[in-house]
Amino acid sequence: MNLWQALFIGLLQGTTELFPVSSLGHAVLIPSLLHWSFKQSDPSFLPFLVLLHLGTATALLVLYREQWVAIIRGFFAAAIRGQIRTDDERLAMLLLVGTIPAAILGVFLETRIKSLFASPFEAAVFLVANGVLMLAFEVLRRRAERRAALDSAPRAEQEEGFGQAERISFRAAALVGACQALAFLPGISRSGVTIGGGLLAGLRHEEAARFSFLLATPVILGAGLVEVPQLFSSGVPIGEYLAGTVLAGIAAYASARFLLRYFRSGRLDPYGWYCIAAGLVSLALLRLNL
Amino acid sequence: MKSNSLAAGFGVLGIVFLIVAALYALGVLQILTSTKTGPHYQHAILFGVLAVASFVAANFARVKAV
Repeated sequence: MNLWQALFIGLLQGTTELFPVSSLGHAVLIPSLLHWSFKQSDPSFLPFLVLLHLGTATALLVLYREQWVAIIRGFFAAAIRGQIRTDDERLAMLLLVGTIPAAILGVFLETRIKSLFASPFEAAVFLVANGVLMLAFEVLRRRAERRAALDSAPRAEQEEGFGQAERISFRAAALVGACQALAFLPGISRSGVTIGGGLLAGLRHEEAARFSFLLATPVILGAGLVEVPQLFSSGVPIGEYLAGTVLAGIAAYASARFLLRYFRSGRLDPYGWYCIAAGLVSLALLRLNL
Repeated sequence: MKSNSLAAGFGVLGIVFLIVAALYALGVLQILTSTKTGPHYQHAILFGVLAVASFVAANFARVKAV
């Protein structure tokens, strides 16, 4: 992999990790469509993925630095006291409950599922499925808005009719966390399914995105840190990899800032339509072998 | 739901998870792993987290003196 390819993959991964469009799907599809010779399954590629994920996790930690300090304090306070008293303490426990199913499924299933569905063709099919899923989440959300008689209200008012991340139930947090396992299928977006899960649990779009990003940070960071020793194996072009990582981190930070602003009034539909279009175009290109 | 027996159950579960975490970290346990040799740190960390969660749950479940 040369420097430009590393920068391109870094930018792609950093951007698509947080957008509800599947980073893994794009990482499988785009190099294949560009006829790049390296393989994602190559052992020398793993350290690069590790670094890219650490870049994304660092961006999320920087973005939510004050909140993470409050969450960690809240966790220890509530854990020692055996009682939740503040919103930060509740959020800390919700994140713990949401992280556990994702971590269990990740450790026991991720490698098996990824190796089963790693072809570009399958990634394109799942990308279409991801788009349908995003649109379905919004259909269900609009139904909830109609039930709450908010369908004719302005968007800001519609959003105010729904809750904050700290207020969702522990069962909903566990379900949203478990939804992350769907993202082991290349083409299904981790942030997409967790934001969608948050919407179904009655969160505002912006709050669902915030909960999704907070929930992703320990999983991405943990998975990345465990693989750090891989970086010291021989033949790793660390300079190119680090350049890609820095770009991934910057892209992830900018993406998260954009998405949090976008979801104040925006919906998942544009990303759903994008995924359907990108998946269908990719299927056509792969079929025609262009 | 507060109960000292539930708290004790969570406590025992936490200890079991800690032991499993140590066995994975030492490479003794090779159940549900992708390779069949060496330590499995991802599994060890997972069971460590499960142990912490169990101890936290035990503390939440125990009946507190007023």
